[in-house]
Amino acid sequence: MAAVTAERRRAPRAHRLRAFWHRTPRSFRIGAFILLVHLIVAVTGPFWAPYGFAQMGAGIPLSGMSWAHPFGIDQLSRDIFSRVVHGSHIVILLSLSGTALGLVVGAIVGLLSGYVGGWFDDILQRFIEALISIPFLVLALLAMAAAGPEVAGNPVLVVLVVALVYAPRIARMARAAAIDIATRDYVTVARLRGESPWSVMRRELLPNATGVLLVEFALRAGYAPVLIGSLGFLGFGLRPPTPEWGLMISENRALLMVSPITVLGPGLTLASLVVGLNLFTEGFARILGRSVRLGER
Amino acid sequence: MSGAETLLRAVDLQVSYRQQEGWLPVLHRINFAILRGETFGLVGESGCGKSTVALQLLGYRHPNSRVDGGHIEFGGRDLLELPRRELDRIRGNRISFVPQNPTTALNPGMRVGDQVCEILLLHKRAADQNQALQRVVELFGLVGLPSPKLLVERYPHQLSGGQQQRVCIAMALACDPDLVVLDEPTTGLDVTAQEQIVELLIDLRRRIGLSMLYVTHDLGLLSQIADRVGVMYAGHMVEIAPVAELFRQPRHPYTRGLIGSIPRIDRPEEPAARPLRGLLRRDELPEGCPFQPRCDFAEASCATNRQRLDRVAPGHEVACQRWRALLAPAVAAAGEPTTPPVRPEPEPPLLALDHLSIAYGAGGGALARFLGAAPFVAVHDLDLAVAPGETLALVGESGSGKSTVARAVSGLLRPYEGQVRLHGRSLAGLVRERPGEQRREIQYIFQNPDASLNPRARIGTTLARPLEMFFDLDRRAIRARVLEALDDVRLDAGYAERYPDQLSGGERQRVAIARALIARPTLLLCDEVLSALDVSVQANILDLLRRLRAEHQVAMLFISHDLAVVRSIADKVGVLFQGRLMELGRTADIFSAPFHPYTHSLLMAVPDPDRPRRSQTAGRRPAAGPPKAAGCPYAGRCAWQAGAICEQTAPPCRKTERGVAIYCHLPLDELTARAHWTPSDEPAAMPAPTTFPA
Repeated sequence: MAAVTAERRRAPRAHRLRAFWHRTPRSFRIGAFILLVHLIVAVTGPFWAPYGFAQMGAGIPLSGMSWAHPFGIDQLSRDIFSRVVHGSHIVILLSLSGTALGLVVGAIVGLLSGYVGGWFDDILQRFIEALISIPFLVLALLAMAAAGPEVAGNPVLVVLVVALVYAPRIARMARAAAIDIATRDYVTVARLRGESPWSVMRRELLPNATGVLLVEFALRAGYAPVLIGSLGFLGFGLRPPTPEWGLMISENRALLMVSPITVLGPGLTLASLVVGLNLFTEGFARILGRSVRLGER
Repeated sequence: MSGAETLLRAVDLQVSYRQQEGWLPVLHRINFAILRGETFGLVGESGCGKSTVALQLLGYRHPNSRVDGGHIEFGGRDLLELPRRELDRIRGNRISFVPQNPTTALNPGMRVGDQVCEILLLHKRAADQNQALQRVVELFGLVGLPSPKLLVERYPHQLSGGQQQRVCIAMALACDPDLVVLDEPTTGLDVTAQEQIVELLIDLRRRIGLSMLYVTHDLGLLSQIADRVGVMYAGHMVEIAPVAELFRQPRHPYTRGLIGSIPRIDRPEEPAARPLRGLLRRDELPEGCPFQPRCDFAEASCATNRQRLDRVAPGHEVACQRWRALLAPAVAAAGEPTTPPVRPEPEPPLLALDHLSIAYGAGGGALARFLGAAPFVAVHDLDLAVAPGETLALVGESGSGKSTVARAVSGLLRPYEGQVRLHGRSLAGLVRERPGEQRREIQYIFQNPDASLNPRARIGTTLARPLEMFFDLDRRAIRARVLEALDDVRLDAGYAERYPDQLSGGERQRVAIARALIARPTLLLCDEVLSALDVSVQANILDLLRRLRAEHQVAMLFISHDLAVVRSIADKVGVLFQGRLMELGRTADIFSAPFHPYTHSLLMAVPDPDRPRRSQTAGRRPAAGPPKAAGCPYAGRCAWQAGAICEQTAPPCRKTERGVAIYCHLPLDELTARAHWTPSDEPAAMPAPTTFPA
């Protein structure tokens, strides 16, 4: 019986990177491109935006779209395109970090709960169900009220509230994934070895649940700006002059029939971010699903 | 056979599948014909394209597959050219299909009778529902389902696996088809259920002149049922021959290897003598003969010359340019010589099971017990001992509790009663209550290598983890041990960087074995470690296990339903039925008379090319009832039942002079007298494979 051999060739690093890029799914490449555009706008936007985010007198209010004002002018005669550009970093920072925090907490709690099972899982699940049963706006308002008026409008609080709303929902998804993965033989092997639940979660469950979790992250992150916007609209969260997209959509909602572009502008920008994020994470999950075979073969 | 009419002919059939990198050809100019009334067997290892052929006969067009050329003639028309509407009139009606897994093939939300009615009504074979139901009852009787009138009302989950497969066969027969395509119809079933299904098919063929295409990986099985066999390798048809001739004079080197790889129950030492070497690698297929890289007889020109099926005898075709040169009886006998197993001296046992009972649902708590939820006792009062370095095999059909024993020993299940002892010390019930040293000493190898390796961890990481847990080593020492372990299972260092999905099933099972051995265990629990693998891979892994067992001085609890495998690896065998021990003794003694009636029925169920075909069906065995509280669990299914005593009192343990314990009411000489199965030296029904004509 001859030894089975695996031959591997080492290619130069740059070449391997290029080969890797060419083998990535198309969705990953498109998503990465959209996200890159958003990131560049978020970082450089404040330097080249034609108007300030609170600068009035940019043009005739509600005059519709034009080359000078691609997203039109709002009621207070502010240039909406400039506001969208200025608000870009707020959206990306607050909604992404809020969702990411929710993801980390939710994933850990959910995976552990699904793997350990028993009364630990029972109690945790009832608690999570209680949290989910509260409408998220009410939950957010409760958290804001509990924090007190002096910190209202603080961006850190907004991030924490987004995480609080999302964590239980993500935990449920993670738990379902963990219950599925925990029946696989490699988890049984780990258990027979005497690994602690934390170690099993980190080594066996988490790497195999990334696909589910990433998709969950992309979906949730897309809705976070709207959540932040509604908080601001109710007088908690960010205050109106802030050019947060969700806030702008709510402000201009009444004008939808008069000047639709004032809502469509920020709305479509948000949509493009969500689509980009979804494509990116979906492609990323597929790359992980095929493990790192892409470079070889 | 020459006078028979050709029912179906595949000509130059070529099919490709869509892959990431483009279209991958899976069938290369396949030619074969099926005559009316004959059974054509199609055999090959997994991935050779045999199921693709079967699906093409049904005109199944998957979006990811493409027919590149050729045609399938059936009833004067080309099946591949037919429009969908015409095809629908043929499928299920004139050509029908029996799938591999009846559990997923039947709709769980529909009564089985209605599912068969559907086909009858669809093809207008019955005027209305009532007439259709009547026909279904007839069909259920035909396929040997007990009380068909009641059964049509049942849902699939209320039937056993064998019964479900009978329903699928009834479904396939519903419209009196010209051809039935069976895709591994018994692979998911027990040995005994498999035997019954095969008997049924033989019987049906005789009674209604059924034509069949039987797709399987099990050449031994085809020897029982097929008239002619086509052997496929990597999408090529390499040999077509009448079944008797194929076993007597295999012409293609691959067929020889395949026949040599069948673990033979009557010749336990043989499989190690000539397994197929290497593995099928689709990325390294040469232009010419696909088998060239693995062939012992290959010449350089084999790699470039396309091989065509060449007639070597009437009805016998082979695609090998060297078949003439191979006529000399030079069957490769390379392989490693097998050393006779060392008989361990009587020592204190390594593992002892002490009146072990295991129950499911025993952890339900006081409330459940109060409400009368009796736990289901899967293993009952089991006494076993395994000496250091010894291999004890547990055999039995599924549901006999053999895996449950392994789970209790490993600490996944808490024993209900009794104890598990290692080195004479009692083990805690669950793995988390055991100290690290005991966890290290018992290692588990699972059946399915696809599920037992973390798909997101490199092989090196997977192998290093037990070392981090159990030994205090630095990174360099760990790395060295990992490479050593890979070398042990004959994989080279490059595998440490790979992920499981880059490995074949056999390679993954090697990694799983390496992961178990790297912890330096004293006891290996092997739970059906071969049953998910191809025949030729099985032979290699079996060989590897035998070698490693000797090198590492490790004892094994080897769980298998495959008696041939067990005979070639085990020192001792325990036969389990419904959680109770039926027979226990040294391997050689278990495989010779006297037999326990159940052991005997297991042995008779193994398809054996040398045994004459069964011309008539044996008496019907009723399905196993619920385990009886008193009496022998095998009573009711036993062909040799002594009388009412079997159902009332537990059978006594009878010791033969060779030290085999048999739990049966029948006296030993009676058991000896009734034995039909005899080991090796019975004159074979067919000439031995060494008689090659000059």
